[in-house]
Amino acid sequence: MTTLQLKNIVKRYKSQTVLDDLSLEVADGERLVLFGPSGSGKTVLLRLIAGVIDPDEGRVLIGGEDMTAVDAEHRGVGMAFQNFALFPHMSASDNIASALTSRKSSKEAIAGGVQKVAKLLKIDHVLSHHPKALSNGQKQRTALARALVGSPPLLLLDDPLRNVDAKLRFEMRLELPRLLAAQGATVIYVTQDYKEAMALGDRIAVMAEGRIRQIGTPAEIYNSPADIEIARLFGDPTINLLDVVPQRGPDGAFVELSGVRVRLPGFGAEIVGKECVLGLRPETIAFTEASTLGAVPVTVEAETPLNEKTVTLALTARGREILVSRPAGTPGPTAGPAHIAVNGRAAFLFDRASGQRIRPSEVTSKRNGEAA
Amino acid sequence: MNDTALSIDNVDKFYGPVDYGVHAVKRLSMEVKKGEIIALLGSSGCGKTSTLRMIAGFEPVSRGTISLGSRQVQTLPPVRRNVAMAFEGYSLYPPLTVRENIGFALKASKLSQAVVDEKVASIAKLLEIEDILGRYPSSISGGQQQRASLGRALIRDAALHLLDEPMGQLEPQLRAVLRGRIKHYIKERGLTAILVTHDQTEANALADRIAVMEGGVLQQFDTPKKIKERPANLFTGTFVGEPPMNVFEASVSGSGTGIRFGLKDGVHLDYHTSDFSHPVREALLKRQKVVLGVRPYAVRRSADGVTGRVAVNQWLGDQTHIAADFAGGTMVLVEHDRTSLEIGQPIGIRLEPSSLHVFDSESGNAISHGEELA
Amino acid sequence: METMSPLERILRGIALTLVVIFFMFPIVWIFLMSFQTNETILRIPPSVIFTPTLDNYAALITGKLTTAAGTLDIAFMRNLGNSVFLSVASVALALVLGVPAAYAFARHKFRGSEDIAFTLLSFRFAPPLLVLLPLTQYFQWLGLSNTYFGLIWVYQLICLPLILWIVRGYFEDISADVEYAYRIAGHSWFSTFRKIALPLAGPGIAAAGLLAFIFAWNNFVFALVLASADKQPVTVGALAFVTASGIQYGQIAAAIVLSITPTLALALYAQRYLVEGLSLGAVKG
Repeated sequence: MTTLQLKNIVKRYKSQTVLDDLSLEVADGERLVLFGPSGSGKTVLLRLIAGVIDPDEGRVLIGGEDMTAVDAEHRGVGMAFQNFALFPHMSASDNIASALTSRKSSKEAIAGGVQKVAKLLKIDHVLSHHPKALSNGQKQRTALARALVGSPPLLLLDDPLRNVDAKLRFEMRLELPRLLAAQGATVIYVTQDYKEAMALGDRIAVMAEGRIRQIGTPAEIYNSPADIEIARLFGDPTINLLDVVPQRGPDGAFVELSGVRVRLPGFGAEIVGKECVLGLRPETIAFTEASTLGAVPVTVEAETPLNEKTVTLALTARGREILVSRPAGTPGPTAGPAHIAVNGRAAFLFDRASGQRIRPSEVTSKRNGEAA
Repeated sequence: MNDTALSIDNVDKFYGPVDYGVHAVKRLSMEVKKGEIIALLGSSGCGKTSTLRMIAGFEPVSRGTISLGSRQVQTLPPVRRNVAMAFEGYSLYPPLTVRENIGFALKASKLSQAVVDEKVASIAKLLEIEDILGRYPSSISGGQQQRASLGRALIRDAALHLLDEPMGQLEPQLRAVLRGRIKHYIKERGLTAILVTHDQTEANALADRIAVMEGGVLQQFDTPKKIKERPANLFTGTFVGEPPMNVFEASVSGSGTGIRFGLKDGVHLDYHTSDFSHPVREALLKRQKVVLGVRPYAVRRSADGVTGRVAVNQWLGDQTHIAADFAGGTMVLVEHDRTSLEIGQPIGIRLEPSSLHVFDSESGNAISHGEELA
Repeated sequence: METMSPLERILRGIALTLVVIFFMFPIVWIFLMSFQTNETILRIPPSVIFTPTLDNYAALITGKLTTAAGTLDIAFMRNLGNSVFLSVASVALALVLGVPAAYAFARHKFRGSEDIAFTLLSFRFAPPLLVLLPLTQYFQWLGLSNTYFGLIWVYQLICLPLILWIVRGYFEDISADVEYAYRIAGHSWFSTFRKIALPLAGPGIAAAGLLAFIFAWNNFVFALVLASADKQPVTVGALAFVTASGIQYGQIAAAIVLSITPTLALALYAQRYLVEGLSLGAVKG
């Protein structure tokens, strides 16, 4: 276990700034996920921590020690790569052992270490194989074993599950937390899959354009996204985003969907008349009876099951698309007219111009609303 | 009137000499009705792409017949089959703009330019590529190329639309809404579509019926619901569904009023005789060894269940995936609320008899689903 | 692959045969010539029926060439030895210098790195005759003319660019992540180069070395100008058969057979590497 601090890191390639004054602190034993679309700089950042790429500016501190000028082989980190990066001319066992041989431990100690980690990862039966004789899943486990075998205090995992099939990915998603907990290392985990990020991270740092846009626990990111882009990146199906201009009602602000008022509790006069985007997570919308108060009439376009959910695409009276998600097996309409109930309390409101989230101002809003 | 759009009858595909080469598709027979969306689902090398290519006419049929409507087509060249196809590698024409690419197939149809433009505009709106219609394929992203390629196939008025991995490269944020729109588009126009995919999520989302293939053999051809509830064998059971089905080897024994499944680590599941119909009881008791399967969402937590220990608890926003150490293996549960379970906490796991899938331990074929015989 | 119809198969066979005849004819003809005397070679019309003789080979190996004008001493075996020594030494030096340079060019993009690499390649573009005259002057001035060292140095003009460009392509093909992984596992950059980059680029290095060997072996003009008889390779040595009493076709043919045998054998042995190496060089260069 160790800590990691990045201070004002800048990295440029030619005229392009890949990392832009980025600072980050990771606590001892923490599992931090770097999440972001491709090109957001997360892979460069990870290589920079490993020491195979040098920053143009800024400092990298591992365990409080300035490692910026230290070569990769002396930083004592473990790393697993997205493309596995196995040595094709070495057996799986030599691949794994490569992380031990540099320390000049005895042959027996090396063999013992390899055996132990191979057993843990269930690849002890293929240790003599060369990478090309391994299945994708075995390659991925070998790459992990190589990263883990030296028990590095800081473990860097670069999208290690990206190149394995869905089923293996799911299995590893369940297995990894146990493995990592047993290691006790501080982990930086890079991924583009929001489910992986939420499942594996103590905290998630959402990256875009070389900066960290938001950092927080999975719950903070999902329930309180800082802007539209982050709200869009988390959740499957994607959050519904509707252009709205809130109006002033007798009990606070509201927006209209299919001519029906949807109240926005917690919001007051400050958003009235402002160009906003309303964000509705598909699972916060439910089909309901026409007679329910505030039921919004819609037309069901198509039903597309999604794993253990049923996702329905519906159109409002003005032809705006809304995705509704519910647990599979629960009843709902499959075609034609229907009604949905929108939970205004679970809705997000974003500034249309800046994309930033407008947070409800619980206490004051009510009073403002009444005064208005 | 004949409402069969496609019928494949006893088709074999050999790469190399017939009967001696690689047997890629084995005695495949299936019928597709007009207006249906069918998914050919399987992992790479299962024969799904060979099948698609034989239907399109890019690959000769080694044996058997393929008919579109009432017309046998297996010896016709692709152009005479009236089939539209979206290729996995997009295959957009590089010197043409996205607009020209999409409109290309309509050139032969003698439609006026105004009509073509209107059609292109409407499909571009559906696929959210309106702003790149004037660009060339090399200057747009993989996801955009895939959408353009889909547009080029969907705009045609063909007897059959073949879509090869149509959504693999799509931006995840667009996937859900595009699935809905495309499904609606196909249904509204009464098109018949066959999509080939390795992604069971996509097959489930779009298809009316799924043909699961493995090793060149059609494993099951049924609605997504049926495949989930009544998988024909262990392969389909574990291939379709995410998270995958929980699977445990078990011994079966019967006593006067009960049936007992013995799992590893001395765990056993006891059921009352009346939990299963008579034929199921007989089928089960004939065997010593079976494989039990239960879908993650069907596993219940209950105080009187068998104890397992929480190993992982992952909240994904709208679902919670829990993995518990159970009977020497892992039992996965899916719950739709956020559950606060500590790691290591014991939970009672209850498997309702109605949610049990029992498979033969040797052939892998299903014996029973719930109380009924498979 | 689609199965071919019998007609297609026959046409393909004919086309292939024609190509093979076209390319193999000179080699076969020379091979046949090497077993004939000058008289049978020059008779009209030519014929493939003759009584084979080993005289040509005997003359080459003993170094005594009997012509109508008397007996001549020829140094063919020495020339052959020179060829072997010059080619092997040149390729060895080029590998020692070129492989690390290729690695540097492949992995470290610095200001002007492309320009330097291209300049090195451009040595291959210049016609050798262009540089020969000044080179001869310099060599005489430096005391390098007619030394093995001088020749090996000049041969670097042939070998080094070839090795640099082909091997660089191979190094670039190795995923940087593989090397990063080894570094992060705690190994220095030099041991990464030795244990990861070198073995993985092995086939490419072999192909490049082989090609460089063939080019060095076949070089004519540098050795002609810069070396006198005792340092000359076979390519130049074969000129000795153009004698006052006429051209000794039989011996020339035998000399050619002997001198192409090593390169041909090498090329056949490493055909796969060679094709790979060449095409890669073509793409990357």
